[in-house]
Order: sequence, then C-alpha cells, then structure tokens
Amino acid sequence: MDREVRMIGRLALFLWIAGWMVAAFVWAPLVPVLGETTRVLYFHIPAAWVTVLALAWSMGHSVLYLRRRRIEHDHHAAAAAEIGILFCVAATISGSLWAKAMWGSYWNWDPRETSIFFLLLVYAAYLALRSAIEQEERRARLSAIYSALAFVTVPFLMFVVPRIYFTLHPDPIINPRGKLDMDPRIRIVFFAMLAGFTGLYFWLQTLRVRVARLEHRLDES
Amino acid sequence: MPSNGSNSGAAVWAILRKECRSEWRTRYGLSAALLFAITTLTSVSFAVGRLTDRTDMLAALLWVVLLFAALASLSHAFVREVEGHTLTLLRLVASPTAIGLGKLLFNLVFLVVIEAVTVPLYLMLMGAPPPRWGAFLALLGLGSLGLACAATLIGAVISQTRGRGALFAGVSLPLLLPVLAAAVSGMRAQWAGGPIAAEARLLGAYAAALLAASLLLYDHLWED
Amino acid sequence: MSAVLASAAPDTAVALEARDLTHRYGRRTGLEPVSFALGAPGVVAITGANGSGKSTLLRIVAGLLRATGGTAVLTVEGHAIAPAERRCWVGYAAPELSFYDELSVEENLVFAAEARGLDAPAAAAAAALARVGLDSRAGDRVPALSSGMKQRLRLAFALLHRPPVLLLDEPGSHMDDEGRATLAGLVEQERRARLVLIATNDEREWRLAEQRIELRGRGLGHPA
Repeated sequence: MDREVRMIGRLALFLWIAGWMVAAFVWAPLVPVLGETTRVLYFHIPAAWVTVLALAWSMGHSVLYLRRRRIEHDHHAAAAAEIGILFCVAATISGSLWAKAMWGSYWNWDPRETSIFFLLLVYAAYLALRSAIEQEERRARLSAIYSALAFVTVPFLMFVVPRIYFTLHPDPIINPRGKLDMDPRIRIVFFAMLAGFTGLYFWLQTLRVRVARLEHRLDES
Repeated sequence: MPSNGSNSGAAVWAILRKECRSEWRTRYGLSAALLFAITTLTSVSFAVGRLTDRTDMLAALLWVVLLFAALASLSHAFVREVEGHTLTLLRLVASPTAIGLGKLLFNLVFLVVIEAVTVPLYLMLMGAPPPRWGAFLALLGLGSLGLACAATLIGAVISQTRGRGALFAGVSLPLLLPVLAAAVSGMRAQWAGGPIAAEARLLGAYAAALLAASLLLYDHLWED
Repeated sequence: MSAVLASAAPDTAVALEARDLTHRYGRRTGLEPVSFALGAPGVVAITGANGSGKSTLLRIVAGLLRATGGTAVLTVEGHAIAPAERRCWVGYAAPELSFYDELSVEENLVFAAEARGLDAPAAAAAAALARVGLDSRAGDRVPALSSGMKQRLRLAFALLHRPPVLLLDEPGSHMDDEGRATLAGLVEQERRARLVLIATNDEREWRLAEQRIELRGRGLGHPA
C-alpha cells in the first residue's frame, strides 16, 4: 500500500513539472526585455532556490549533529550537500547560458554569478573534506564543523559583497527577494515550477538518506 | 565546583610562547613560508612588470600573493603537532579553545613577519605609488586577522584528515573569499584616494564573526 | 561478555564509576561493555589481552576519547567532572604521549605547568623531575633520552599538577630495574592518597595493585 502511494507521488511530481514546463512554452507570455530567453527563468531560478534550500538543510543538520550527536543528522547533511551541488551546477550553467544569450558573454563575475559560484565552492569543499576522512564519526564531526563555519561566511558573500560591486543582473524585472512585477500567468507558472523543484529536492533527499541509512546499517553488522 | 589548575589565559599565553620558541629553534616553517612568498612575488613581478599606473591590479595581486603565502604556511601550526604526536600532550594541559586561540595568535604573528618582508618588497618591485599608510596598514591588519582566523581553524580540521596541502587550500578558499573581495576593494580605494570605511567595517565584522564561531567550534575538534 | 566487577567502597573525595562503558572503532568493538565502581585511595590494575581496550578505557576516563556507549563518571568532592575538564584532575601517562623534540626536558614540563596555570611552574617541574630521578637530565633535549628515560618523563608529566587520579598505561615499559624500582616507589607513595589505575599485562605491575579489573575483549591489536 505504502509502495503504491509512493509510486503515485512520483508520477504526480513528474506530471506536475512536465506539465508546467509545457505551459511555460505555450501558455505563459514572454517578458518584453528578455524575449525568448524568458523560459530559462522557470528553470534557473528554481534551481538556484533549491541550491540555497539544500545548503540551509545541510547546515542546519550539521549544527544539530554537533549538538545531539545522532548519525541521522550527518546522513541528512551529506545527502543535502550531494543534491545541492547538482542543482548548483544546473543553476550555474543555465545562468551562464542565459547570460550569453542576453549580454553576449558566458561569465562576468557580476554579484549574482559570483554568489552562485561561491556556493559551488562551498559545496565542493565540504564534499572534498568528507572524502578525505574514513572514520564515520570523525567525518561527521569535522564536516559539521566546516559546515557551521561556512554558515557564517555565506551571508557575507551573498549579501554584503554584492554591494561593493556593480550588477548586471535583471533585478527590476525578476527579483525573488522583493516584490514581483510579473504578468500573472508568468507568476503562476513560476511558482508552480518552484513548488515542483522543491518537491523534487525533498524526494531526492529522502531517497539519498535512505541509502545512507542502509549503508550505515551494513557497516555496523 | 572545585578547580584544579584551569586557567585559559595562562594556557593561551603559554602556547603562544611555546610556538614561538619552537619555531625559532627549528625555523623550517618560517623559512619555507618566506621562500614561498618571495618566489610567488618574484614570479608575479617577472610576469607582469611594473604597474605604477594600474593600482587596481596592484591591489589584487598583492592580496593574491598574501593569500598564497597564507595557504602555504598556516596549516603548519597543527600539522606539526599531529606529525610530532604531541597533540595528546597539548590536549591534556589546555582546553581546546585555549589551544585554538594560542595557535591563532601564533599564526597572526607568523603572518605579520611574512608581510613585513613581502609587502615592502612588493611595493618596490611592482613600482607601486606610495600608499596612504594609515588606511593601507588598517586593511592589511584586518585582512590578515580574517585570514588567520579561518586558516587556523581549517588547519586544525585538515590536520585530522588524510589530505594535506591541496585540501587545505581548497577547503579554506570559500571562507577566505570575503576577505579577498573586501581587502582588494579597499586597497584600490585607498590608492584612488577614496574612503575605505565600508571595506574596513566588512573585514572587521567578518573577522569577528569567524572568531566567535571558532570559539564555539574548537570544543568539538578533538574527541578521539 | 561483560567484565569482572571490582568492588571498592567509594571514598568521599574521589569516585570513578563506569556503567556498561563500551567503545567501537567503526564496526569493531574496541572496549566490551564494562562496569565498575572505584574510589580513592587505592591502586587498581586493568588487565586483559592485547586489544581488549585497556588503553581505550584510560583514554575515556582521561577525557581524551568520547565513548560510543555507556557512561563513565568521575566525581571529585561530590561534583561530577565533565570529560572536557578531566585533564585538570587526572594525570595521564601512556606510550602515545610524546613531548616536543625541540624543547628540553625541563622546558616541556615548565610549558605544561604554565599551560595548566600552576602557581610556580618552574618549581613544580623541578619537583616532578626530582621524584622520577630525571633532574640530572633536565637540560637535555627530548630526543637525547633513552626510551626508559622518556617513560620517566611521562610519569613526571602525570604527577606534575598533583592530580587526585593517576592513569598509567603500561608504566613500566622500557624501564630497567632501577626505573621499575622508582615506579614502585612512586606508586607506593601515591596509593595512600590517590586513585591509581594501571593498565598492564606485566605481572610485575599487577603486583603493585590491590584490586584488578580484567577486560574480556576479542583482541584486535592496537586500537586507533
């Protein structure tokens, strides 16, 4: 019974994302300034959103591990990092292609590009650190320490540094943090895709944690 | 709660003095670091030449050289303990936080020594215009503080893994980028005659945040 | 599977109690569950096959290692001492305790005394050296010592801050007859006021103890 519910859930998620992706092409209008490249925002921004979500999830569980020392938290932290880096790469590449189409160059070190690249570095460093430690408890503890330290750094690089540099990013039109000046149909598809990506993330996260749990149990026996 | 010889201030100070004495006696850490810094500097100067009118490049390259020097040498403080198997001794005489602070202060002194040699050499070789000394030294000091805070803690983490130099550089870099960004921007500004208040504040706040986080995290570092 | 219980009436000053204390290294069990209740004064020998967890047990009591299961509680004058604070109340000497090669014997101990915040570090160091018979070698660098001498240095380090609990891991190793006599003398002096735990497989060291805790482990070789 439980199996069937999960199957239906997966199917529903697939149809949701696929359906709204189609809607993005045939139903939602274009944003005047962006032209045909409007479509990318339904993919790129949700991917960036999941990157940040996964990072927060990972860091939160790292801190929980240090306080409670339950290996479950380490499983969650590591899983979130592995999935997060995938979405981060997706966001970086889609953003870069978008930049090429819009402004003619793949990479400019403008603040948003810098921020996403920085997140990529944090993820990569965290995973590299983990791969250098064999003992499970030590790995969990040291990577949690690194994660907690990175948690201090992230606000600095994501919000403070951009104030120092000039930005090319299309802020007035699409500003995820501020108010949305979007056509209602664009807004609907956008939020639908945001929800879909979030669902996708949690599904992958749950899967990966289950694998980690099984591996752990295998190691114990 | 009875106490029996637990005095963090004394421990930090004792560790700092011990580090300085050890470094003075063996000296390979400092000489290697100086050699590396000068090599990097020479390579840059050789490749780029004099940059008198490009103060933006001067600012950037100075911090790249300092960053490389820091990454090449600051993990030494903990790696030496692990390789000499003296970590047990250290853990028995001082709390983890005291150890961390002691090593941090040592790394700061170490950086200052390296900068005292490298920075004047850099300014000379690259034909830099005279800096506004107050602003210049303030940025140098605050930036070095941030570098040392991050590098010391990461050094402690890395010393317990299989990885060494390359891993240390890769893992530290994300934490050092805010320092790099703010310090370079500030250096540019001081050569251009503008204010450095924003960058100095940023560097100070970042170093303070890193320090606060470190003080909480050192306790978890050594449990086996 | 669980070890023999050694019974001792807990003294009001110092009590050490373990309940189902166990430790795993990855998937291997380094210390099988053990329970005991000990009090000062007294000497207890901890025996068992190689790999049964003698060293692991001492490290846990000293606060150097966080046990994966069970509890070990050290109480001094009614107050439980957290693992992070144990180093102030415990004197630890084990084969893995190494000293700084670039410092002399005396400098190592003075550093330890200063870091611990002792009132007269130099005097404490000198006194400890005299007790183990190393005062003539005070100025020598550590690498110049024979392994027997190094073992004496470890004992001096453990006694330095006059702790109420002594944890000695194979204290007689590398020692000649004179060294063993010194060790026996020290244990004899300490047993009247302190709790001394000696982890050993050597019969000559068992005989110094009044009680014995035997660890039954499967034997794994040297843990960690």
